[in-house]
Amino acid sequence: MISVTSIPWENIGKVRSEPKKRAGIIVDLRLCVGCHSCSLACKTEHNIPLRCFRTRVRYLERGDKLTLKFFPLICMHCQDSPCLKACPCNAILRLEDKTVIIDKNRCGSEKACVKACPYGAIYIDPATDKADKCDLCANRTALGMEPACVNVCPVNALKYCDLEDPDDPVVIYARKHDAKAFKEEAGTNPSVFYIGLEKWMEKKVENGIQLSSKEDEIIYVQK
Amino acid sequence: MSNITRREFIRIAGGISVGMASGACSHPFVKEKHSCKQSQNLKRLIGTKIDYTKARAVPSICFGCTTHCGVIGWVQDGIVKKIEGNPLDPNSRGKVCAKAQGMISYTYYPERIIYPMRRIGKRGEGKWKRISWNEALDEIAKKMKKLRQEEHPERFVFHYGRDKTKGFTKRFTNAFGTPNRLNRRSICSSNRRAPLMSFYGREFEWETQDFENTKFILNFGANPMEAYQGGFFMMQRIQQARVDKGAKMITFEVRPSATASVSDKYFPVFPGTDGAIALAMINVIIDNNLHDKKFWDRWANYPLNDLKKQIASFTPEFAEKESGVPAEEIIDIAIEFAKASPECCTMSNRGSAKHYNGVQADRAIRLLDVLVGNVGRPGGFCLSTLRMWKKRYGQDGLPNIVQPGPSPSSVKPFQPGTEQFNELPVEVQERVKNFPPEWQNKYFGELATPSEYPLSWHWYPMRVGQLVYPYIKEGRAKVEMYMSYTLGASYGYPEAKVAREVLLDEKLIPFHVAIDIGYSEQASLADIILPEATSLERWDAHSTNCYGLVPYTGIRQPMVKPLGEAKPVQIILRDLASKIGGGMESFFNFNDVEEFYREWYKELPISWKEFKKRGIWYDPNRPKDYELYERPVSNDDLKGSFVNKENNIIYKMKKGKKVAVGIMQDGKPVCGFPTPSRKIQVYDEVFPLAAKHVGLPKSDENGSPLCTYFKIPSHVNIQHDELIFTTFKWNVHTQGRTGHLKYQAEIVHANPVFINPETAKRFGLKNSDMIELTVHRPKGHTYRAGEKEPVGKFRNTVRLLNGMHPKVVAVSHHVGHWEHGSVGRSNVNLSHESKSGTEPHLKIFDDKDIPERIWWSKSQGGPGGGVHINDFLPIDPAPLVGGQNWFDNVCSIEKI
Repeated sequence: MISVTSIPWENIGKVRSEPKKRAGIIVDLRLCVGCHSCSLACKTEHNIPLRCFRTRVRYLERGDKLTLKFFPLICMHCQDSPCLKACPCNAILRLEDKTVIIDKNRCGSEKACVKACPYGAIYIDPATDKADKCDLCANRTALGMEPACVNVCPVNALKYCDLEDPDDPVVIYARKHDAKAFKEEAGTNPSVFYIGLEKWMEKKVENGIQLSSKEDEIIYVQK
Repeated sequence: MSNITRREFIRIAGGISVGMASGACSHPFVKEKHSCKQSQNLKRLIGTKIDYTKARAVPSICFGCTTHCGVIGWVQDGIVKKIEGNPLDPNSRGKVCAKAQGMISYTYYPERIIYPMRRIGKRGEGKWKRISWNEALDEIAKKMKKLRQEEHPERFVFHYGRDKTKGFTKRFTNAFGTPNRLNRRSICSSNRRAPLMSFYGREFEWETQDFENTKFILNFGANPMEAYQGGFFMMQRIQQARVDKGAKMITFEVRPSATASVSDKYFPVFPGTDGAIALAMINVIIDNNLHDKKFWDRWANYPLNDLKKQIASFTPEFAEKESGVPAEEIIDIAIEFAKASPECCTMSNRGSAKHYNGVQADRAIRLLDVLVGNVGRPGGFCLSTLRMWKKRYGQDGLPNIVQPGPSPSSVKPFQPGTEQFNELPVEVQERVKNFPPEWQNKYFGELATPSEYPLSWHWYPMRVGQLVYPYIKEGRAKVEMYMSYTLGASYGYPEAKVAREVLLDEKLIPFHVAIDIGYSEQASLADIILPEATSLERWDAHSTNCYGLVPYTGIRQPMVKPLGEAKPVQIILRDLASKIGGGMESFFNFNDVEEFYREWYKELPISWKEFKKRGIWYDPNRPKDYELYERPVSNDDLKGSFVNKENNIIYKMKKGKKVAVGIMQDGKPVCGFPTPSRKIQVYDEVFPLAAKHVGLPKSDENGSPLCTYFKIPSHVNIQHDELIFTTFKWNVHTQGRTGHLKYQAEIVHANPVFINPETAKRFGLKNSDMIELTVHRPKGHTYRAGEKEPVGKFRNTVRLLNGMHPKVVAVSHHVGHWEHGSVGRSNVNLSHESKSGTEPHLKIFDDKDIPERIWWSKSQGGPGGGVHINDFLPIDPAPLVGGQNWFDNVCSIEKI
C-alpha cells in the first residue's frame, strides 16, 4: 500500500545536476494567474528588504476584454548586459551558467547599474547600501534545486531551462509557442523569454520591477 | 569580466549575508533566563540566509487558509527558514501559494504574543501584564468549575474563527457540557453548503470537480484563482486543462477577478442574478433535448416534465433582463455546456450563494450538472470524501482514522421542562415546541441552533455566527464566560462594531478569554490572552476532498518548538480540563500531543515514522472516486437488510435505528447517494417545512421545494443613483488574518473602491478621488430589515477599473487594522515604544523592515493601510440557512 514515489527532499545536496550551459527562464503568460507565489518565494528565500524587489507580478488592464493580464517580471540575465558594462567597480559578474550576479564585496555603491538596467531589476539594499538583484537562486541551483520562484509556481507558468540545450523540453516548448524577449529593441540578449507576450503589455510595464517613485498602487498599472 | 562557479559565488555571497542586529534583551517582561536566551538566538538567526545542505526538511500541512496544502518547512538552527510544497501531496502536487510562504512572517512576527497576559486597565484599554500559565488557567478553571456546579455549562461559550483540530475542541466542549461551540460558517459558506447537502447528502457539502479531465467549465462567480477553499488545487488543474488541453471556461462575475481574467469569456452580471441565468440554461437544455434522460430518470428524485412546467417562465430573455447577459449568449453557452457532457462542470461559491436568494440560485446551478448527467463522471462534477475516515459513505477500504478515545458523550438538547429551555424567550419556546421531533432533538438554544434558521442546523450545526452578538445583546442567551479561539469577529464580522459593543459590556460578557497568535482586535477586548502556537509549531490531523479524486490524509507536525511560552491548543485545553477536573480530565489523558496523534493514526498501513517523514498517505492503487453512487452495496451492509417496496430503498437496523444503506436500481443493490431518498434531491420538502416553522411568507421563495429565482428584496426598485457594494478577497490575504504579514501587506495594503469608468464619469469621479459611501439597511426577512437609518458611512478613494459591472462598487476587506502590531496598522510608531509595559507586544526580536521600511504607511509618505469596511456591512443572514448576504448591499456614493 505504500506509495512508491521517492522522498525528493532527501536527495537535496547529495545529487547535483550538471550546471546548465546557459540558464534561462520561460514565462508562459497564458498560464499566469497573478497569484504572487513567486514574489513570496523570492522574498523569503533571500530575505529581501521591503521596497526592494527581485521579482514582481504586475496586473495590466486590457483595453479590449474588460479583464486583467498578469505579468511576472524578474532579472532577464542578459548576455549583453547593460549593468555589467556600466559598473565602474567590475562588481557584476557572469557565472558559469551565464547568470549575471553582483559581487557585493566589490560593489562600490555607484548605482550606475541601477540606471543602466532597462528592466528595473537592480535595487540598492538599504541595509548594506550595495546593489543587489536576482541571482537565479545560485544557492539552490548549485544543489540541483530549481530557482525558488519556479519551484512554487502553482500553474507552471515559470519554467527553468538550459537555453543552449536544444533537447531541453522547455526549450522545445518555448520554440513551439513562439517565446519572445521582453523589450527586444533594447538589444540585451536576455535569458528570460515570454510566451504570449504582446506589444501593449510591454508599454504598460515599462518601468519594470522596482516601484516607481510616484507609484502608490503596487499591483495595478495605471493607463 | 570573469566567469566564476556557482559554488564560489555562494561562498562570496554567504560571507556578507546580513544578520539581524544583536542586542541585549531589554524588554521588562522577558525575565526568565531561557526566554532571554531564545530571544537572543532569534535576534542572531532570523533573517540569515538558508543553507540547504545544513537545513532539515519537515513535511507538514499549511494553515495559511482553509485549503490546507502539503508543505515542507526547511529548518536550520531551530528556525523555519523556508516553506515549499510537498510533492507527495496528491492535491497541491508540490506547489504553494503566497500565503503559505508568508506563514514564516506569521511565526516570526516581532510583535507576536508569546506569553499569557492579563489586562490591568479597563477592558479594551490596551494595558496588560504578563502572567504565568498556571495563574491564567487557574483563574479560568475556577470560573468554569462554578458554571458546572451551578448546572449551567451552556453559559460557557467557545467561539472559534478557525479550528482544524478535526474534533478536538468539540471533545473539550462536550466534556465540559456546553453545546455552544460556535463558528463562522455562516460568514463563509453555509449558503453554498446547504444546496449541496440537500442534493447529495451530508457527506458532500463540498464538491470535487474533475478539472484535470474537463472540457468546459461554467463558472458562476467563483474565484479559485484568488480565494476559495480548495482554490489552490483547482487553479492548477483548471489552467492545465485550459492551456494544455484546450478546455474552455465561461465566467459570470461582477468584477474582473483573476478567474474572470483567465476565462475564455467573462460576462459582468448584476449581483444576485446567477439563479436566473442557470434556470434559463436548464430550459434551453431541455428544449434542445440535450439533457441526459437516462441519468435523470435513474437518479433525480423529481419528474423532469414537472420540473419543466414549474420553471418554464425563466426564459433566456427573462434572464437577460435580470442579469444583463444577452439571451443568445445564454442559449449558446447552455448548448455548448450540455454538448460537452460528461466532460463539463459548473463551479460556484460565494459569488452566487452569498445573496438573499443565493441558496435557491446554487440549487439551480447544481441542477445543471444533474440535468446533463456529468455527476461523478470523468471530467464532470464529482464528489469525493471530505472528512476523516471512519467507514462513512464512499470510504470503504480506507483505514479508520479516528480521534482516540475515550470520547465524552454528546450534550443533551434543550428540551421543554429543562431550566435551559424555560429561560428562552416565550416566542422561541413556542416555535421549538412546534418543531418536528427530529428537530427538537437537535435544538441546543439560540446561539448554537437559532430557531429562526433551522436549515443552519438541519444537516449539521453550521451556526449563524453573525447573530451571536445581537442575540447576546437581546438576552436570547446568557453568557458567563466567552472564549474566542483565533476569532476575528471584532474586526471581520459584518457590523463588527456590534461584536465590539457586546464584548466591551461586562454585564453581557462577564469574562472574555482569547486564545490567539497575534494581538488581534478580538484579543484586545479580552480579560486574559492565551498565546497559541502557529501552524509551524503544532500537530493536527488532516483530510479534505482531493481534486485528484484520491482520498488522502496528511499530518500537520511541528517544524520547530513554539516561540516563548506559546502552546498548541490541544495542550491548552488539556491543561484547562485537568484544572477543571470533575471527570473532565479523563478525556485528556495524554502526556504529549504526538502520542495522541500517533494513536489517532494507528490503523494507517505505514509506520508512524514513515508517515512523519512523508507527511502524506494515500493508497495509490485505489480507483478514483468516480460514480460512487453506482458502486454495489457492500456484503456487510447487505447482511440483514430489507427493501422498502415503495421507494426501493435498502434499509438496515443499526444500533436500533433504521438506516438507509443503498437503493435497488434495475434489480441491483447499489449505494446511491447518502440522502433520505438515496437519490439526488433536486426536490426537497425541507425548504417549505422550514419556511412554515419560521413563518416565512409564501411570497418569499426561499421556501420553494424546487430551485427557483426571485429578485433580492433590497434590489427591487433600486434607484438610478444607487449602486451595489460588494467585497472581495485578494490572493495574498486570508480574511482578516494576514494584514500584518510584511511581504503580503507590501503587495496589498490598501483597498480602494473599484468602480467602472463610465459610472465614475456619471458621478464626476476620477482616479484617486475621495468619496463617501453610505450603506443602506437590507430589506426582506432579515435582521433590522428596512430600517431607514443607514448601516453607516465611510470614506475611501476610488480606483477606476474597466470590466467592473456598472452598477457595482467593489472593496476588499482584509486591511484597515487598528491592532495586529505595526505592520497590521501600517504604523511606524511601535506601540510598545510609546507605552512600554502596557501593551502585550513583546518585541521578541528585531526585524529591520519593521517598522522603518513599511513604505506604504502614511508617516513614510505612503497611502496608508486602507480602510476598515466591515463595520459598514449589515448583519444580513439569508432566510432559513442563515448565510451572510455579503453581496446584496445597496449604497449611495458622493464625491467629497
